[in-house]
Amino acid sequence: MAVTYRTHMSIIGDILTTTRDESPDETGASVTYLIRKANVSYGRLSKILETLVSQGLLEQSSSDRACKYRISDRGREFLQAYRGFREFADSFGLRI
Amino acid sequence: MEVVFESALNLLGFVVGLVLGIFTHIGFRNTGSPTLFRLNIAFFSIGIGFGVVGFGDLMELWVFKYTTVDTWIQTLGIGIQTVGYFFIAFSHGIKSFFPKSRYFKSIAAPLFILPGNSIEHIIRSISFILLVYGTIETIMSYMESRKRSALFVATGLGLLALGEFLGWYSIVFPKSILYFVSVSTKIVGLGALFVPISQVPMRGGMRIGGNV
Repeated sequence: MAVTYRTHMSIIGDILTTTRDESPDETGASVTYLIRKANVSYGRLSKILETLVSQGLLEQSSSDRACKYRISDRGREFLQAYRGFREFADSFGLRI
Repeated sequence: MEVVFESALNLLGFVVGLVLGIFTHIGFRNTGSPTLFRLNIAFFSIGIGFGVVGFGDLMELWVFKYTTVDTWIQTLGIGIQTVGYFFIAFSHGIKSFFPKSRYFKSIAAPLFILPGNSIEHIIRSISFILLVYGTIETIMSYMESRKRSALFVATGLGLLALGEFLGWYSIVFPKSILYFVSVSTKIVGLGALFVPISQVPMRGGMRIGGNV
């Protein structure tokens, strides 16, 4: 069976999808939760989360225990656009 | 009259290519995806290539009043289109297309050397090979995903390849209807690439920074 590698963009898509659809509570998803669900290493996830927060796609909320991440309205728009263009690229047999 | 009709078809290809290019440009601006960037270059090149041939023919006919159309405009336009076909094939990972073994090189090399008497021959043969490669890759993708839109894209690329082949063959029979059929086939092929766009939900104001 051929191994398919995820692109950087698809990892971002997975992280945003997790924060939108699978957050354990309203405050958002923790880093540990995202590592497990999005299947990304801590080092890589930290960099991506930093970028997503700076771009306004994720909202970061800090509690006394740990940082939690929740998808923003901008993030939802991005995710919708990403899915549309992913379908388009899929039609060409390509991955974005 | 025949030249005007062929120009109109080429200009239609110009519009279709530009629309596809604009769509993929929006996709690139939204997602920052390198794949969409390559498709963006591909479709703009294809559209501009059609435009060069179409506008070039009209310019010659109406502005310069030539009775015969110079071949260099045709060659330039087809060359620009080939750049576009290259980027579509490149998106599939063109490195895997060129085998490394000496045996395969010895078979593949003459394909590029034989039509060396004309630049247009070479360009068209490269376009044909790139498009056939793109078609095969897309069919393979369809076999995995079973998405109908992939089938339309494969058909579109296949028709573009057939159009290039007929265009090349029209050099052998210059006075025949082959060139007209070639351009028509390419336009239909380009039109088939529109199908995936119709499935993307476009909303107004969908602009998100591409530095993700």
